[in-house]
Amino acid sequence: MRWLLSFLLLGLLSVVHAVSSSGNKLLVVLEELADKAKYSKYLADLESRGFKTTIESPKAEKIALFELGERAYDHLLLLPAKSKGLGPNLTPKLLLDFINAGGNILLTLDSTHPTPSALVSLLLELDIHLPTDRNALVVDHFNFDTLSAAEKHDVVLVPRPDALRPDVKNFFKGDGKGGEVIAFPRGVGQTLGNTSPLLTPILRAPRTAYSYNPKDDVDGVEDPFAVGTQLSLITTMQARNSARFTVIGAAEMLEDAWFDAKVKRSVGMGGVGSDAKQVKTSNQAFVKEVTGWTFNEIGVLKVGKIEHYLNEVGVKSNVTNPKIYRVKNDVTYNIELSEWSWDHWEAFTPPTGDVVQLEFSMLSPFHRLPLKVASTTKTSTTYTTSFKLPDQHGIFNFKVNYKRPFFSNVEEKNTVTVRHFAHDEWPRSWVISGAWPWIAGIGVTVTGWVAFVALWLWSKPVPLKLTTSGRKIQ
Amino acid sequence: MAPKRNAREPTPSSTATAQSSSPASVPSVSSKASHKSSSNQSPQQIALGIWQNYLDMTPQRTKLIDVFMAFLVVVGGLQFVYCVIAGNYPFNAFLSGFSATVGQFVLTASLRIQTNAENKADFGEVSPERAFADYVFGSLILHFFCVNFIN
Repeated sequence: MRWLLSFLLLGLLSVVHAVSSSGNKLLVVLEELADKAKYSKYLADLESRGFKTTIESPKAEKIALFELGERAYDHLLLLPAKSKGLGPNLTPKLLLDFINAGGNILLTLDSTHPTPSALVSLLLELDIHLPTDRNALVVDHFNFDTLSAAEKHDVVLVPRPDALRPDVKNFFKGDGKGGEVIAFPRGVGQTLGNTSPLLTPILRAPRTAYSYNPKDDVDGVEDPFAVGTQLSLITTMQARNSARFTVIGAAEMLEDAWFDAKVKRSVGMGGVGSDAKQVKTSNQAFVKEVTGWTFNEIGVLKVGKIEHYLNEVGVKSNVTNPKIYRVKNDVTYNIELSEWSWDHWEAFTPPTGDVVQLEFSMLSPFHRLPLKVASTTKTSTTYTTSFKLPDQHGIFNFKVNYKRPFFSNVEEKNTVTVRHFAHDEWPRSWVISGAWPWIAGIGVTVTGWVAFVALWLWSKPVPLKLTTSGRKIQ
Repeated sequence: MAPKRNAREPTPSSTATAQSSSPASVPSVSSKASHKSSSNQSPQQIALGIWQNYLDMTPQRTKLIDVFMAFLVVVGGLQFVYCVIAGNYPFNAFLSGFSATVGQFVLTASLRIQTNAENKADFGEVSPERAFADYVFGSLILHFFCVNFIN
């Protein structure tokens, strides 16, 4: 009986353990508590992954992101609200403060409820732009669901997203087999500013989609807000402190109704999908990945041990991380990196085509070197590189600056002093063959001088008088 | 080298003699010689005369100094030519080798000035022995510095 109990406890512990790498306190902001039933599966998913959820209405008095100046929650989920504002406890400034304090925010939009202006201004601050019509939604006449939106074409079916670039890891590809369909019902498309390097779209609209306001009673859409892949359906922003902010354009994606809905795609451009069958949406799995990424369950990097040491002629020095080196020293640098994947740390490997680099810099890098894998354990990879320090003395940094989309930022700086040669560390003159002629020059001069002095001392001074007299005789 | 020294040699001695301090008989001899050479002789004969004059008039120790200085000029010239041709890679080595020779030349030149009997008026209080001791001391310091600097 007792061992059964302990097993149960152990199991409970492992459930609690299976959680985000940055805490499990989650605040869900939901206006009507009755709506909770609509998201029951999604919330149950979160709880099964170990999140301690607190559900509050934005109108509640006690809702507060900060308590005594500290973050009260690790993560924040904002579900759409009917009311126009979010109240005094969720102002854009507070939300930005929450991000600056390292909290993650998952924001959902919905075209049926106009987005509160507080959120619009928050998004503007992050360079994410929403359509000016508050009721605009994304429609696509080639990729809609024929079962639920045969008439309005506002349930857009999108395949799993491809990797952003070939050298960026794709966290949202599911099992990677393809053929999966994500339903994006009545969502708000966003456009992204060009200037922010922190913004990354997860899911873009298909080529034939556009943003449109159903309240406009015109036959043709003139001058739409944005079309095609300009529209981002799910957008992320990872701040410099690695806090994550995700906007999901369609809150309905999270609803139970769309988790197990069957959809059948329309006939697309060039007759694609004319033989489409009814399929179950993969919203549940996809939303789990998006949420997991936002709440630091995947794509989080951790730096373990950093080591640098003298490695002259292949002999490793016993002193690690010395404060001072000499110019032209041979040095080895090691860094240990781990990646959090749902519930455990695992060895980090950069995606193919990408490398972790080390910079040896004073103001600007003197060296930028690829780090190679030295050893791998179950939970970490050690990267290493060896190089000769530049012929320049000063204060230098060993710097690893690894910032990639969807990975948390790694910026590690270790400062060392690089001194010049001490006077007795230079090679002796006779070691340098080029100096031999001048060594000989000194030698000949000194020998000649010694001979001269010897001759001088040996020779008897002849008085000048004698010379003049001799000359006189001559 | 030799003609240059010859060319330089007689002039100071003649001026020095003109200034006095040496017996009055000397200027008469030199003026006689110059008169002889200026009359009708080829340049070769003039040079030879000057050379002969130098050999006759210069004390033996001064000649020794002149030989040593000529030797230093040759050594320094060789080092400089080598530097121009082969480059100055260990620059400190070039500096120290070349400056050892040049410095030695300068010190020897001052020894020559101080021990020359015809400069007695200027260096009355410096005896040749004292000048030589100074010279040895200065040279040793110079050698010490050069050997240190070449490392």
